[in-house]
Amino acid sequence: MYKYVFRRVYQLIIVFFLFLVTSYVLFDSIPGNAFQSLLLNPELPREAYDMVIQLYGLDKPLYERVILYIQNFFRGDFGYSYVHYPRTPIELIAERLPRTLMLFAMVNIVAFYTGFLIGKILAWRRGSKSETWITVTSVFSYTVFYPWFALMMLWFFGYKLDWLPIGKFLYPEKWYDSPYDSDVIFVSMIKFIAVASILQMLAFVYTRNIESISARRNVRFTSFMIIIIGSFMYWNTGEMLNQKIYAMDIAYHMILPVFTVTVVAFAGTALLTRTTMMEVMKDDFILTARAKGISQKRIRDRHAARNALLPVVTSFIFTIVTIIDGSVLTETIFSWPGMGQLILDSVLREDIPVAMASFSFIGVFALIAHFIADISYAYLDPRIRIQSQG
Amino acid sequence: MKNQKDIAKDIRRKALKKNWTMFKQSKLGMLGLYIVLFFLFLSLLQPFLFITGIWNKGVYDPVVGYSEQFQEFLVVECPKEYPTEKYKDRGDCPAKLEVNVRTLFYSDAQVGETIIQNLQPAPPSAKHILGTDSLGRDVFSQVMEGSQVAFLLGLLSATLGVGISTLLGTIAAFFGGRVDAYLMRQSDLILMLPTLPLLFIISAFAELKVWHLAVVLGTIGGLGGSVITIKSQALQVKVKPFVDSARITGGSRMNILFSHVLPNVAPLALLFMVFSVTGAIASESVLSFLGLLNIDMSWGLMIYLAQVEGFIFSGMKFWWLILPAGLSVTFLAGGFYLVGRGLDEVFNPRLRQR
Repeated sequence: MYKYVFRRVYQLIIVFFLFLVTSYVLFDSIPGNAFQSLLLNPELPREAYDMVIQLYGLDKPLYERVILYIQNFFRGDFGYSYVHYPRTPIELIAERLPRTLMLFAMVNIVAFYTGFLIGKILAWRRGSKSETWITVTSVFSYTVFYPWFALMMLWFFGYKLDWLPIGKFLYPEKWYDSPYDSDVIFVSMIKFIAVASILQMLAFVYTRNIESISARRNVRFTSFMIIIIGSFMYWNTGEMLNQKIYAMDIAYHMILPVFTVTVVAFAGTALLTRTTMMEVMKDDFILTARAKGISQKRIRDRHAARNALLPVVTSFIFTIVTIIDGSVLTETIFSWPGMGQLILDSVLREDIPVAMASFSFIGVFALIAHFIADISYAYLDPRIRIQSQG
Repeated sequence: MKNQKDIAKDIRRKALKKNWTMFKQSKLGMLGLYIVLFFLFLSLLQPFLFITGIWNKGVYDPVVGYSEQFQEFLVVECPKEYPTEKYKDRGDCPAKLEVNVRTLFYSDAQVGETIIQNLQPAPPSAKHILGTDSLGRDVFSQVMEGSQVAFLLGLLSATLGVGISTLLGTIAAFFGGRVDAYLMRQSDLILMLPTLPLLFIISAFAELKVWHLAVVLGTIGGLGGSVITIKSQALQVKVKPFVDSARITGGSRMNILFSHVLPNVAPLALLFMVFSVTGAIASESVLSFLGLLNIDMSWGLMIYLAQVEGFIFSGMKFWWLILPAGLSVTFLAGGFYLVGRGLDEVFNPRLRQR
């Protein structure tokens, strides 16, 4: 096991350096350089331009620049943004990241849970009419052209019914004399959601071994209610009471994006769960369980779904990588100022330092997620553990 | 007298027939196949209509065509306050076949008169099955053009991608060692690159046309995760007895690779191909929706135009500008997905019902 982990770390470090070099070369092949627009200014002498080029090391050969870039990457130095001048790319990312994480952490948790439940039911009812209909619906939401669907949702709920706001993540007039920065509220909301979901998960894990299904359901429902009441109390005490109205404002703006992305995102998990579970249901131990006379629901939940969980969990960890990837569209359509919009804007407006920093940042994010996926897979699947030893 | 080639052909035909009967059993797979065939028919119908002269290129061309549609309009004045007897809210005025006197800059018609005006975007009629867009171009013809683009791009990128990944996957499994290690690191690297931002960056320094995009998508798809899956399949084939016996009877390495290992990996590769068409169609639509693709007409561009011209928020009043393109992308991608699922049930013995 340790040998496997070490080998994996070593490989990922090589891949990471390859990634840095590739991303630098990619950005380098964009025609022109960052300061070429200065040449259009007739007041600026040619020498000054040459000086700037020299100052930033742009006259050096490619391999020296690549080495310089890698050094600067580890110093966390990406220069300054051109569009938002005095701010650095790191500052911009630190400002935008909580907003993206907030939105997509919610979406992923909800979508994963619904997807797994629906996939379980789908595989179990194979061949029935309801299976066909649910499958058609989930294939539709899996392949629906996302920007179009999001625009339709925006039109229906935001404009036609006028229930929810169209775009943005807060009403500026409410925040005019607010004592808090919006990022402070975001961070406290993320903390709250993380704690609440960890508590809920712990409740699920510890009630796993209760034998009777109805008793287990009651215990889980009680724990869920306790968490709800606890969170209600949390938001009504001390400093949180002041933050509450601002948090409510953000939450109100979050409903539509979360709902839309969930409708699209649950289908992938549902369809994958269905396939893996159908493979598991061919196995002999399901037949044995049937022969023993265990109830159908129990076979479904404890024998089949449990074994089908492994590939689904791994794919879930991989989808964490695509969070930022997929967020580009959502954030553009709902004008949610997050990481996705940052990277699209910076590429369109040729704000190279920000684009480079956010691209590399996504790379690091992906690297960590891959590592976690690999390790958890090896830990959960004994076949890989044994293979790596031999 | 039958020689060896005929026997081999016969066996292949029988296997194909068996697979086809199995595929026919899955209803959703057949539904997907019908959808794909329908769009294929649409994309072939347009050139046919142009060549036979049923459609005039000047009127029906998806990009530069123009159709005149004159209509009588009643000039009205919209009230300042709502609701009134005739109009319930601001969105109702001007109603159908009416024009607000305030927006008449080019005519001095008075309220209550009728004027003849060009009606664009025109609703569906016998001449234009799906109406016209705001520039007087036929929407149905645009949908057909879009499906040509989608098929071209989807099939080209999927073929390229699957070709690359099958070749690399089997080579990795067959030679092992350093070649394998290198190819696997390469896949890791490609998996790490976020696809959409990468495409943005590429579109920043190169003018992307449809077939450029097909090559880029095919290469990214071909070098990425599918190499790993195909390699694991090829590893299973490599230890089968018939590979050993081929080696014993003196088959060269290349011969074994191409005539024994590759055909056995082919079903999985076909599956990947069908699934990657879905992704390619979606990527193209997204890029042209964001306006990053240099393309005359596609489904994504149709939605982009409907959005920037403000027809999306007019709701279902201009449904023919909003629904056809969006539903076409969804249905074609869904059709390919369903076909892939049907094939999965044929090729994957663990999924078969009996």
